[in-house]
Amino acid sequence: MKPVATQNGDEVVVITHEDIDRAHDRVRVSAARAQRGFSSKARLLWLLVGPGVLVMLGENDGPSMLAYAATGAKFGIGFFIPFVVLTFCMAIVVQEMTVRLGAATHRGHAELIFDRFGPFWGWFSMIDLGVGNFLTLITEFIAIRAGLGFFGVRPWIAILIALVILYAALMSHRYWTWERITLAAAAFNLVFIPVALMTHPSWHSVGRAFITWQPLPGFNKDTLLILLANIGATVTPWMLFFQQSATVDKGMTTKDIRFGRADTVIGATLATAAAIATILATAPLFAHQMTADNFQAAEFAQALQPLIGRFGASLFALGMVEAGIVAAITISTSSAYAYGEVTHKPHSLNVPMGEGKSFYAVLTLCAMAAAAIVLVPGLPLVYVVLLVNVVAVLAMPPALVFLFMLVNDKEIMGDLVSPLWANILSTGVVFVLTAAGIFFGISIIAPNIFAALGGK
Amino acid sequence: MMTKRIDNTPPTISSADESLVLSSLEHDQLVGAKKHHIPRRHLNRPELIVLWSLRIYLLFMMAVVAYQVWIAAH
Repeated sequence: MKPVATQNGDEVVVITHEDIDRAHDRVRVSAARAQRGFSSKARLLWLLVGPGVLVMLGENDGPSMLAYAATGAKFGIGFFIPFVVLTFCMAIVVQEMTVRLGAATHRGHAELIFDRFGPFWGWFSMIDLGVGNFLTLITEFIAIRAGLGFFGVRPWIAILIALVILYAALMSHRYWTWERITLAAAAFNLVFIPVALMTHPSWHSVGRAFITWQPLPGFNKDTLLILLANIGATVTPWMLFFQQSATVDKGMTTKDIRFGRADTVIGATLATAAAIATILATAPLFAHQMTADNFQAAEFAQALQPLIGRFGASLFALGMVEAGIVAAITISTSSAYAYGEVTHKPHSLNVPMGEGKSFYAVLTLCAMAAAAIVLVPGLPLVYVVLLVNVVAVLAMPPALVFLFMLVNDKEIMGDLVSPLWANILSTGVVFVLTAAGIFFGISIIAPNIFAALGGK
Repeated sequence: MMTKRIDNTPPTISSADESLVLSSLEHDQLVGAKKHHIPRRHLNRPELIVLWSLRIYLLFMMAVVAYQVWIAAH
């Protein structure tokens, strides 16, 4: 469809296919908003949820679920149960800012960084995003391969299935359809809840852990790695870029910010439930004193099989596959959004394939390259899985500072700049992440310090 | 409101679509409006110090991660 130029008052504006698709979505939102009553509010929420739920469940990805599984198997029910809730609270604080930025400016995160801070700082943040996204994408395909491997599916077939699903979600060339397909797939993240129930967790211990944050883990290098992996499982740079771009692509405006916040909180709540369920699901391995060091991805499913049966173990393995597929879709989309925003080429899921060749090419090529690496025999994939969440935590403070500066920029945000309490909270998040990174560095460079402090 | 073609091919966007877009989307939401760059802002000295500090922190920590991978691989 060719764009046409329309003279609107004194200004000539170009209307594209993308605008028309977005306008159709906005008409439905306006119609729901015009009505009163509970059902219309519920419909409005249904129309406006999406980016927040997708980003939170998307972040419950392969390495994240592996980190939660390792947490349960290594430490059982204790400190990490409330800690995971805290990390998702941090994620809500951070992600809410991207909703406001997207709704107020109608620009993606990469585009704003380039425009406001210039290409020098823009390229730094793009390199952080690109490297982090690519490493994470590799781990998603590792999770998919391992999860389907539990059912005897060959690696190349598993990878092919994942790529077909990713491509199928794109084929609609409509943001709305893509979002609903991906949301439906993301709902399977909750499969970890029935698995947790099958292990008959001690609810008394869960309640005590929430109240007392105990038992505390020993203060050593392993604990610190799991701590960072758990933080990296909830707050990562791609989430900032994805949610802001998706908010813009969805067409959300400042009137929708309240629902954007609700969307983020709903997503965080669902993701927290799935994360805690994964810890609870693997906690029996800790109780049976089975070491978690040798487990990777779906090997947790094999380890759980004697405890919860074949059906429960299959659900766990399927959960790993889902985590990998949804994250592969959302992360590759965030890379494509950022590329399009920086190069000022069409970057929307509403764009037809012919008009958005570069957008769809980046999206699929990123996924295909990561998938191909997973199939190369003999590569040390375990290191990538273990370190990808750590790298995410380390890259987060610079990304957060850009976000912090943008969301407090009165010229672009107007009255929607962050209130004092939000600034205090986000500054706290930056300090926590930086401190966690520094402790991690110390644990690598001078591991004996932890022994001196009473650790192992 | 006037409509004009921007090339010689027949327009395939109907006037109904045009009015739908103009009535449903905010001006800043239009793809055409996004071709205009948002003006760059000046970074003051404290902001530059923070940005450079975090950049150095990140590069240093990446070296630490690479070192850890090297140790683990050997």
